Amino acid sequence: MTALDTGFPDLLKPFLKYAGTEPITPDASLTDLGLDSMRAIELLFAIEDTYGVSMPDELLTNHTFATAGSLWATIESLRGRAA
Amino acid sequence: MTGKPPLVGRYESAVAEVLAVTAEYAGHSDEAAEFPTAALDAMRATGLLGLLVPAEHGGGGGTLTDLVEVTLRLARVDMSVALIFAMHCQQVAAVVRHADGPLAARLLPVLGKGNVYLASVTTERGTGGHLLSSESVVGRTAGMLTIDRDAPIVTGGRYADAFLITALAPQATSPSQVSLVYARRDQLTVEVRGGWQPLGMRATDSVPMRLTGQVPADQVIGEPGRFREIVAPTFGPLAHIGWSAAWLGAATGALSRILHHIRDAGRNQFDPSSELLLTRLARLRGRLDLVNAVLRHTVATMESGSDRSDPAVQMLVNSLKVHAAEQCFAAADEMVELVGLRHGYLKSSPLHLERVFRDLRSASLNYANDRLLLVNGALVLRDRQVRLA
Repeated sequence: MTALDTGFPDLLKPFLKYAGTEPITPDASLTDLGLDSMRAIELLFAIEDTYGVSMPDELLTNHTFATAGSLWATIESLRGRAA
Repeated sequence: MTGKPPLVGRYESAVAEVLAVTAEYAGHSDEAAEFPTAALDAMRATGLLGLLVPAEHGGGGGTLTDLVEVTLRLARVDMSVALIFAMHCQQVAAVVRHADGPLAARLLPVLGKGNVYLASVTTERGTGGHLLSSESVVGRTAGMLTIDRDAPIVTGGRYADAFLITALAPQATSPSQVSLVYARRDQLTVEVRGGWQPLGMRATDSVPMRLTGQVPADQVIGEPGRFREIVAPTFGPLAHIGWSAAWLGAATGALSRILHHIRDAGRNQFDPSSELLLTRLARLRGRLDLVNAVLRHTVATMESGSDRSDPAVQMLVNSLKVHAAEQCFAAADEMVELVGLRHGYLKSSPLHLERVFRDLRSASLNYANDRLLLVNGALVLRDRQVRLA
């Protein structure tokens, strides 16, 4: 499991209405933490602005948004591609 | 599946029987806001309620197309009866597709007989129609689930033989970990906590209820806490397809009655060379053709085995619901305008437009169009290529 970037949990938190004060772990289910389809699109825009990546449509799947870890791994791979 | 002729043979006479009873009581059910118990009894007696249960479990092995056909036909006569039937089938489909192991082995033969009416308990005071979160906790002790569920709207709950109930899974760590629990009426204490006096769809008797009791822990449909995996492929599409068929059927029946009227008793009041009459009729028919086309395409997409979690498919299903609600109500409104005050606005008219108009006003509210459009808007942004399903 890829470790999360230090700023990433802070970026996620506003979109996760059930996250509370517990730390967000890589294997935490984002749906369980309160991410819904409408919040997911807001989160997508925030990720693209923050990390300077553009997520292709085919990666905008439930799998990509399943956990903090799967989402971060996707961002990492896109940043790697850009570098 | 799509090559199969609609309506599995043995249900042809069942539908005719249910329709006859429905026609007899439709006026009274609406007037008194009473559940159509005679129609439900006919659905039980004929086994029509088992339409969607696979044949190997004693059911009709009906497809989504069969569900749509039956719903359309019932709704031509009484939209409430059609909604009751379609929503029951939505529950049955959830059991057929998602129950497994001993629970499926026990339940499917029971449902296949077609004499068990299932009601859905998914609304909550705190979350309204939001299916994917719950504030109702289910307790678990020694292999039993303790249910204490307060639901503001349970269609047909007063007459249901069993219920599918959403509630937070035991040990849930998040309000989104919702389970779908099957409970027989005799396993529960059922309390009706209010009445039902709406504008339309009055015969659905969608009353507030409190359900309490204990059921064995293996009566959870699908994985505990994973109701959302039932919603996307089954619960959502079946609801939108079933409702849309009910609305289209109601509008279709109304237009048919108008056309009979114009050709028969009302002959002297309409001029067949009137351009206003002809263009109005053409627009009306066009609205129904549009809804029918989207409905059939959506059903075909579902039956073709498409990935139901694909955003393009989800958008199509949601669009069907919104279109059907808007177009069918607009059609009813135009029908009232077309025939005028006596036949369009008075309860006493045999065209029943006054009732259909009230019934169809509920369509945009029955899982609110506004809420569904927000979901679709977010999905649209995920698909820059605009891949239409």
